[in-house]
Amino acid sequence: MSEAQLQAFLATLLGTGLIAAVPLTLAALGETFAELAGLLNLGIEGMMLSGAFFGFAAALATGSLAVGLAAGIGAGLILGLGFGLLTITLRVNQILVGLAITIVGLGLTGFLFQDSYGQQFPRLSVHVPEIAIPLLRRIPILGPGLFAQQILVYVTFALVAIAGVVLTRTRFGLEVRAAGENPFAADAAGVSVARTRYLAIALGGALAGLAGAFLSVADLQFFNPGMTVGQGFIAIALAMLGRWRPARVLAGAVLFGVLESLSTGLQILGVAVRPEFVNMLPYVGIMVALVVLAGRAMLPAALAVPYERGERTG
Amino acid sequence: MSGRVGAALAPLAGSLLAVAAAFIACGLFLEARGKHALAAYRFLADRGLTSFGVTEALIEMAPLLLVSAGLLIALKAGVWNIGIDGQFLVGALAVGVAAPALPGLPAAVVIAVSFAAGFAGGLLWAVVPALLRVRFGLNEIITTIMMNYVAINLTSWLVKGPVKDPSVVPPQTKQIPYGDMLPNIPGTQVHIGLLVGLAAVLLVAALYRFTTLGFRFWVLGQNRRAALHAGMPVARLTVIALLLSGGFAGLAGANDVLGVKGLFQGEWNPAYGFTGFALVFLARLSSLWVLPFAYLFAFLGFGGELMARAANIPVYFVQLLEGLMLAFLAVAIAVERAVVAPRRQRSAATVPAAVEPVALHPEEQP
Repeated sequence: MSEAQLQAFLATLLGTGLIAAVPLTLAALGETFAELAGLLNLGIEGMMLSGAFFGFAAALATGSLAVGLAAGIGAGLILGLGFGLLTITLRVNQILVGLAITIVGLGLTGFLFQDSYGQQFPRLSVHVPEIAIPLLRRIPILGPGLFAQQILVYVTFALVAIAGVVLTRTRFGLEVRAAGENPFAADAAGVSVARTRYLAIALGGALAGLAGAFLSVADLQFFNPGMTVGQGFIAIALAMLGRWRPARVLAGAVLFGVLESLSTGLQILGVAVRPEFVNMLPYVGIMVALVVLAGRAMLPAALAVPYERGERTG
Repeated sequence: MSGRVGAALAPLAGSLLAVAAAFIACGLFLEARGKHALAAYRFLADRGLTSFGVTEALIEMAPLLLVSAGLLIALKAGVWNIGIDGQFLVGALAVGVAAPALPGLPAAVVIAVSFAAGFAGGLLWAVVPALLRVRFGLNEIITTIMMNYVAINLTSWLVKGPVKDPSVVPPQTKQIPYGDMLPNIPGTQVHIGLLVGLAAVLLVAALYRFTTLGFRFWVLGQNRRAALHAGMPVARLTVIALLLSGGFAGLAGANDVLGVKGLFQGEWNPAYGFTGFALVFLARLSSLWVLPFAYLFAFLGFGGELMARAANIPVYFVQLLEGLMLAFLAVAIAVERAVVAPRRQRSAATVPAAVEPVALHPEEQP
């Protein structure tokens, strides 16, 4: 193998890996807030799909990237609030509600896509601005992948940084942790557990919707029923894997994204390997990483436990 | 309604109301999309009541019953097996490989061995999440989902390569001889998989009603901590529940390969997992109520496809309907808890434990 080939391989791996990491990071970031606040959101897959479909439809109608992304965020937000209503206010089991939202998301977006576009599979032609940072982009291998990317990659980096600050340095961040770790103490200290959890799931839903819209509007520029193929569930695992620290969540997502783009990269190297075999790796990798990195007793103490004022169940 | 009867029937009423609400909501949605909801529903009902419709629904009921049996075991024990799809595929592939490899044996032997292979395949696929749960405290929700995607890719890889029938172009296993497929129940067009499914659900009902193991599962599902304090082998029980659950999902795979398809095909994934979840929750984790709900879902699965073609309604409609049933069930559970429970101090009969909040902590000691 020549050096040029190897360079191309590594650059592709990093470049496509980062793009693949964007939706995972966004969704996992939202899930980080939700899980820290005590909500396990298995509906994230349905929220991503809804973000992807409604973002796609809005972008197709307007030709605008911003409108598409906003529609995706809105769709995710609505489902997030629905999840909140059923689990926080009505205190129904989160796993049941999450699965219901995922099934509704799959069915609704598949239905609307087929009904609206039939077998046409329309493609978007939305302009996605790229930012290339002078000089830095010339660094071999790392340069093109890291410093000449579309704008949303940088937005994602920024959101990770902001989330890190919010979680550790602000009152809201503290309240989120308290609501998930010890809601009784949080309540006693004057924190509204319900309000905090609603804010966390609204954020989770909005970011999941944005993640889906990124996939369909900015990255692939088409929609396909069920196109998220489990990325929402992976985001849940990534949030746990990163122990709810945004920077670690990003690192996990990039690692996963690189594993995902391995089959494309190997084609460049001319290595003949069945794609299905390579496609298994990310999922196996997640489980191995969870075993190695995530120890016992690391979940927020009140995760998936509804909170009712004045009720103490031990 | 008075006293015990009323309280026992309240959950069923909630489930039926959830089903009705989902039909109404979907009907309004169809009308909003410019379709004729009543015509579509009438078509569904008309076709469903023909003998052809009933036959098809009964055939499609078999895998749903088997999947439900698996989910009942796990969920009643408080174990969240969301890996049904993966366990189903591995079980199905095991049968696709095993059944054609037994030439010259009596059909009854081939069928028995095949079902055993399907059970073993599904069970095997649950081993990793089970061990991760009890050895490393990793919650089974995430790991069983991850195993689904591993299974989809693994079976697809195997059927395109190592276990492919080399004499044909499409990726599939060898055709199972017609004589080795599941025979029909005498006098019907329904293969005996339905009886296997019914037997499986009855077996689970008997397990919970009459056996010590079932009782221990039940305690585990009601209160994990209590089970631990009572000195029950919580880790071992968790493993057994998850493995049995996977085994039944594998049996569903065996049923579909032996009874309907005759081989394992690449890219084939009926994805019964979500349907199974909606079904057993609507049945409120009751083995008895699983039967009518399995029929309803089988009928919808089959009738939905017919309706899709006849009334130009996307086949995703059925999934939307199932998801909404589950969402409305969530509302029904909340209403029930507010209205019924305070009156009679919440009993296990009205609120199945696994539908109640579960803490996700593996608090048992290694």
